[in-house]
Amino acid sequence: MNNEKTFYHEYEIFSKRTPSSAFQHQFSLLAPNEEMALIMAQENFMRREPVADIWIVNRKHIKRMNAEEKMTLGRLENKEYRTTKGYGYLKKKWRQYEQEMLDEKEILSWGGERK
Amino acid sequence: MASFNTVSEENQLTNFMQRIEAGEKIEADDWMPEDYRQTLIKLISMHGMSEIMGALPEKEWVPKAPSLYRKLGIMAKVQDEMGHGQLLLRVTEDLLKPYDKNRADLMQDLFNGDLKFHNVFHMETKTWADAGIIGWLVDGAAIITQTDMLKASYGPYARALQRICAEEVFHAQHGESIIMALAEGTEQQKAMIQEALNRWWEPLLMFFGPASKETTGSSKQDLTIKYKIRTKTNEEFRQIFFDKYIPRIISLGLTIPDSTLRYDKDSNLWSYQQPDWNEFKKIIKNQGQRSEARLNLRRHSYEYNSWVRDALSATIS
Repeated sequence: MNNEKTFYHEYEIFSKRTPSSAFQHQFSLLAPNEEMALIMAQENFMRREPVADIWIVNRKHIKRMNAEEKMTLGRLENKEYRTTKGYGYLKKKWRQYEQEMLDEKEILSWGGERK
Repeated sequence: MASFNTVSEENQLTNFMQRIEAGEKIEADDWMPEDYRQTLIKLISMHGMSEIMGALPEKEWVPKAPSLYRKLGIMAKVQDEMGHGQLLLRVTEDLLKPYDKNRADLMQDLFNGDLKFHNVFHMETKTWADAGIIGWLVDGAAIITQTDMLKASYGPYARALQRICAEEVFHAQHGESIIMALAEGTEQQKAMIQEALNRWWEPLLMFFGPASKETTGSSKQDLTIKYKIRTKTNEEFRQIFFDKYIPRIISLGLTIPDSTLRYDKDSNLWSYQQPDWNEFKKIIKNQGQRSEARLNLRRHSYEYNSWVRDALSATIS
């Protein structure tokens, strides 16, 4: 009992639903080691939903941001040249040439069989 | 560079309240006022322990459930409740860090009566119909209060509730399935549900707590609303419960054991016979029907399993 505070580690659990999906944070749990954490992760968080892989991360290995650091994350809204928003006028232009614009939705739909 | 820590307490509080008002989520490492932390600890530790204590009256029904399918169903539910307890104790432990306390301390608080568990879990379950009523109506009541906090200002609690509420949907349907089978069964089975409803009606009213703090002398309602942990009062929750469940209870041919129950169209409110709030006061002092028996069961299993914790935490030299 007295050793509880040093014996248990706090683990953050990540998992993905299918082999092709991205990892998602699930929750944290207490366990004495990674092997136990893996078993408990399945018991605690994956009783129903499909799961393809699990990551166990000891909290002490996570670099967190403090409140001050988080304040540096705000963005100025002056970088249109970095986003498609800055090029939205092209749609109108292409229309003048009687062409559809190859926008993000169209381009990301490529890659399959030639239609 | 000015450190965030040098900002005065007053500025921190202003900043904190602005974040609350803006609908931002507060995280475990963020600065928070002491009464926010204390309110969360009290609320979430009680919720967590209630999940664990609430599994006890239900687990009594695993061996007595009428079929293998029903045993598996209620066992899955009991496992979920313990899982919810795990999530919520984790959330509480992160809040307890400044006090250097953990779940073992919370367990001691439960045993010595400092930490309460929900009044509805102090009651006796007499028949299989009680198990059905708990799943259908007690879990239904819990869903009403818990979904209200899905957008709680404290991020870790809101995220735990997302997982919990998703499983509560299964629990409510599990209860409905038990009730539906009995309601469409023999006269004896129908009588069983009516008797169970008669037993559980008052506890269900008490579930949401008294309308104002005058009844018991204290209430965290105002603080939890101010800090956007929840949005509705106890009485508002109770009225929503009536809206949703009274028509369903009646549709199954059951009688609600309150002849004064009326719906007022002008005020959109139900008027009802108040439960015995003196009984409520006794229950929250752990003097309910099964308070001591369930605490003893928890104490016994905690002591009985202490060898596991000792073995796990033994230092190998």
